[in-house]
Amino acid sequence: MATAKKRNDEQTDGEKGDAIVEVRDLTKVYPDGTVAVEEISFSIDRGDFCVLIGPSGCGKSTTLHSMVGKFPVTGGTVTLDGEDITDTETHERDIGLVFQDFQLFPHLDVEENIRYGLERLDLPAAEVERRVSDLTATMQLEGLLERAPEELSAGQKQRVALARSLVLEPKLLLLDEPLGDMDYKLQKRMERELLRIHREFETTFVYVTHDQTQAMRLADQIVVMNDGKIEQSGTSHEVYNEPATAFVATFVGDSDIFTGTVVGLSDDGARARIETEYGRFLASAANLESEPAEIVGAEIPFSVRPQYIELSEDKENTLKCEILDVINQPGAGTQLLLKAHGETDVVSDLQVKLNEQVDPDGETVTVGWDAEVATMLERTSVVPDIDLEKDVLGE
Amino acid sequence: MTAAIRVDSLDLSFRNETVLRDVNLEVDDGEFCVVLGPSGSGKSMLLKSIVGLETPDSGWVFLDGEDASELSVPERNIGFVFQEFEETLFPHRSVEENIAFGLEQSDIDIDGDEMDRRIDDLLELLAISDTKDDAPPELSGGQQQRVELARQLVRRCGIMLLDDPLADLDYKLQKRMEIEMRRIHDDLDSAFLYVTHNQDQALKLADKLVVLNDGRVEQVGTPSELYHEPDSAFVARFIGDSNAFKATSVETTADRVRVETELGALLATPMNGMATDAEGLVTIRPEHIAIGKDASAKDNTVEVAPAGETYMGETTEIAVEIPDSGRQMIVVEPGQTTVPEAETVQIGWDATDTQFFEKLSVTETVRTDDLLEI
Repeated sequence: MATAKKRNDEQTDGEKGDAIVEVRDLTKVYPDGTVAVEEISFSIDRGDFCVLIGPSGCGKSTTLHSMVGKFPVTGGTVTLDGEDITDTETHERDIGLVFQDFQLFPHLDVEENIRYGLERLDLPAAEVERRVSDLTATMQLEGLLERAPEELSAGQKQRVALARSLVLEPKLLLLDEPLGDMDYKLQKRMERELLRIHREFETTFVYVTHDQTQAMRLADQIVVMNDGKIEQSGTSHEVYNEPATAFVATFVGDSDIFTGTVVGLSDDGARARIETEYGRFLASAANLESEPAEIVGAEIPFSVRPQYIELSEDKENTLKCEILDVINQPGAGTQLLLKAHGETDVVSDLQVKLNEQVDPDGETVTVGWDAEVATMLERTSVVPDIDLEKDVLGE
Repeated sequence: MTAAIRVDSLDLSFRNETVLRDVNLEVDDGEFCVVLGPSGSGKSMLLKSIVGLETPDSGWVFLDGEDASELSVPERNIGFVFQEFEETLFPHRSVEENIAFGLEQSDIDIDGDEMDRRIDDLLELLAISDTKDDAPPELSGGQQQRVELARQLVRRCGIMLLDDPLADLDYKLQKRMEIEMRRIHDDLDSAFLYVTHNQDQALKLADKLVVLNDGRVEQVGTPSELYHEPDSAFVARFIGDSNAFKATSVETTADRVRVETELGALLATPMNGMATDAEGLVTIRPEHIAIGKDASAKDNTVEVAPAGETYMGETTEIAVEIPDSGRQMIVVEPGQTTVPEAETVQIGWDATDTQFFEKLSVTETVRTDDLLEI
C-alpha cells in the first residue's frame, strides 16, 4: 500500500493542494436546445475527493461527461494539470471512468479485466507486472483473479472496476453514481471502502450523486449544482456551515428556516436582529455579501441546523413550540418535530436533533440557539426567479 | 387483547425452495411493525402470505383473531402496497380516478364529498396534488409509488402491508415522507407491517422491529432492544453500524468474558453464552469508542493509526488502521472532531460496549466470515 502512495507522489508533477482541474465558463447546449450547464466555473485540488451534487436534471452528469470528453462542449474550457483538454480525444485525456453497475467485461476474468487497458499502453513488462500485483494487493483481490465477473459480489465488482481504472494511473478518476442501486447496508460499506482506496492512492476523484449524505461522507470538496448552475463550491464544512444560498442550506443537510425582516444591527454589524412571525431573533451577519448597514429593512431569512438547537431557555434565541412527534433512533439520538405558532395564524414546522435520547414531558417545549449558529441567507439561489417558500422549502 | 395479525409456525416454499421457516409474529392494533433483513431473506414473501397471495405449506395466519386460511384476498380486507405498483395502476385513468377506484372496490359506504375530501387530503399529504388529473404513465416512479400508496391508504383498512413504499423517492423527499408516514399511521391507527432495507428508516418508524434472515426470524423487539441487546451476532451486525472481530473466549467471570482477538485481549460482555474456548464474534458500536485522551480510562484500549476523518455535519466519522493487519475500524464522534496529526492514537471503549456472541445466528449456516462482510 505504501508503495502505491509513493509512486503517485513521484508521478505527479505538482503538489497536493494545487488545482489539477480547472473548468472555466463551461456551457453545454444539447441539440434539442436544452441548456444543461451554463457558464459554470470551478477547480479541483490535486488529490481531493470532489463530489458534484444536485437534484436530477441539474447538469451534474453533463459536467462529468464534459470532463471525460463524451461530447463536444458548446463553450468554455476544461484544463487538466495545466493542459487544455477541451478538444482532446477521450482516450487521450488520461482520465479514468467508473460507471454505475461497473460494466466489467463479462467474458474476461478478474485479472484480464485489470490487464485489459494496460496492454494497450505499451509499458515495459516489469512495469505491467508491478502495477498489477500492487493493485490486486491493495484491492484485496488476490484470491479472485481467475473468477468471472458474474461470480463476484457487488463489493468485489467495485474493487475490480476501481483496479481496472487505477492500474492505468490516470490523473483523474470520474465516478458516475457507482453506488446508485445498492441496498442500504452494502452502500454504506462500499462508501467506506471507496474512502479507504482514495486515501491510499491519492488520485483525484470526481464523483456524481444526488444523495447528500453520500456527498457529506465522501467529499473533501462539494460542488452543489442547480438548474445548470453552481450554487456553491467548497469544503463539506463550508457548504454545511456557511451555505451560500437558501437552496444549499436545505439541499445539503437539514435546516430550519425562518423568514423575517432585519430591524437592527449589533456588535458592529456582526449580528442582525430579525423580526419574524415567531418573535425577534439574533442571527449572524458574518457571511453576508452586502454591507451591514444596507440590510436594515430588508427581508432576509436565516437557517439553523437542527442539531445546533437545544432544549434550553438559556440561549440568545428561544422559542416555545408544540411537540408534534418524538423520534428516538437508537445510536443516533432523538429527533423532535415541533410546531411554532406565529402572531397571526401562521405555523412553522421545526426539527430539533439531540445527541442524547430524551423524552420530553408535556405538550410544549422551549428550545434555544445562539446567534452564531443562525446563518443569514441573503440569496435564495443562483437561479433567478426561484421562490423560497414554493421552490426551496416545498418539495 | 387479540393481535391484528398473528403469524403462527408459518412455512412457505416458492419454486421448490423454502423461503420462510417456522415464522412466528404478532402485530397489535395500531402498532407500527417494520420487517428488516437482507435481500432474499423472505420479507416480501411474508407480506404476500399474510395478504393471501401466497399459500403457506403449513402454519396459520390469524387476522383479528380469525383464521384466514380459507379467506380470499378481498375477504381479508387488507390494504397493501407492493413493489410491482406500476402493474396495478390503471394507465388510462387519472390519478384521482385511480385512487377513487380503491374506495369503490371496498364495502365502505361514503358519499361523494367525503370521498373527494379524503382524496385531496391524501394527495396533499403525499405531495402529489399537482398530478391529480394526470395519467400514471406521465408520472415519475416515485410519484406512481405515492399514487399506489394513496389508493391503499384511502381505504383506511385496519391492517396495512407496505413493501418499501418510499424506495423510489429521492433522498430529500424520502426524509420528508418518513415523517409523514408516522403521521399517517397515527391518524389511521391501523396495524402497519412495513418492509424496508433502509435501516435508518426502520429505526425511525418502528414500534416493533422484526429481523429476518434466510427465511427465519432472528429477533423481534423494539428498535432500542435490537440495537442495544441483540440476540445474535447477525442482528448486531445487521442493525446499525459496528466494528467486528473474530474472537475466542479464554476466561469467564460472573458477567464478563475475556476474549482473544486480532486487537489483543479484550474484556467483553457475553451476549449468548458463557463457555470458555468458544469461538465467536465481538462487536463494538462506533459511537461507543473514545479517541485520544478520553480513551485511556476505558476497559479496552488499543493503539491505532489515524487513516482519515470525514465531517458529515451532524457527526464526524474517523477511520483508524489496526497495526499489522491493515484493517480499519470506524469511530463516530458528534459534531466536528479533528484527530491530532500523529503516527498513532489511542482508542478505548468499555466492556459493557463490547459484545461477545458465541451464537452467530438462528441460521446454522452463517459463518463469522459472512458477518465480517455485512
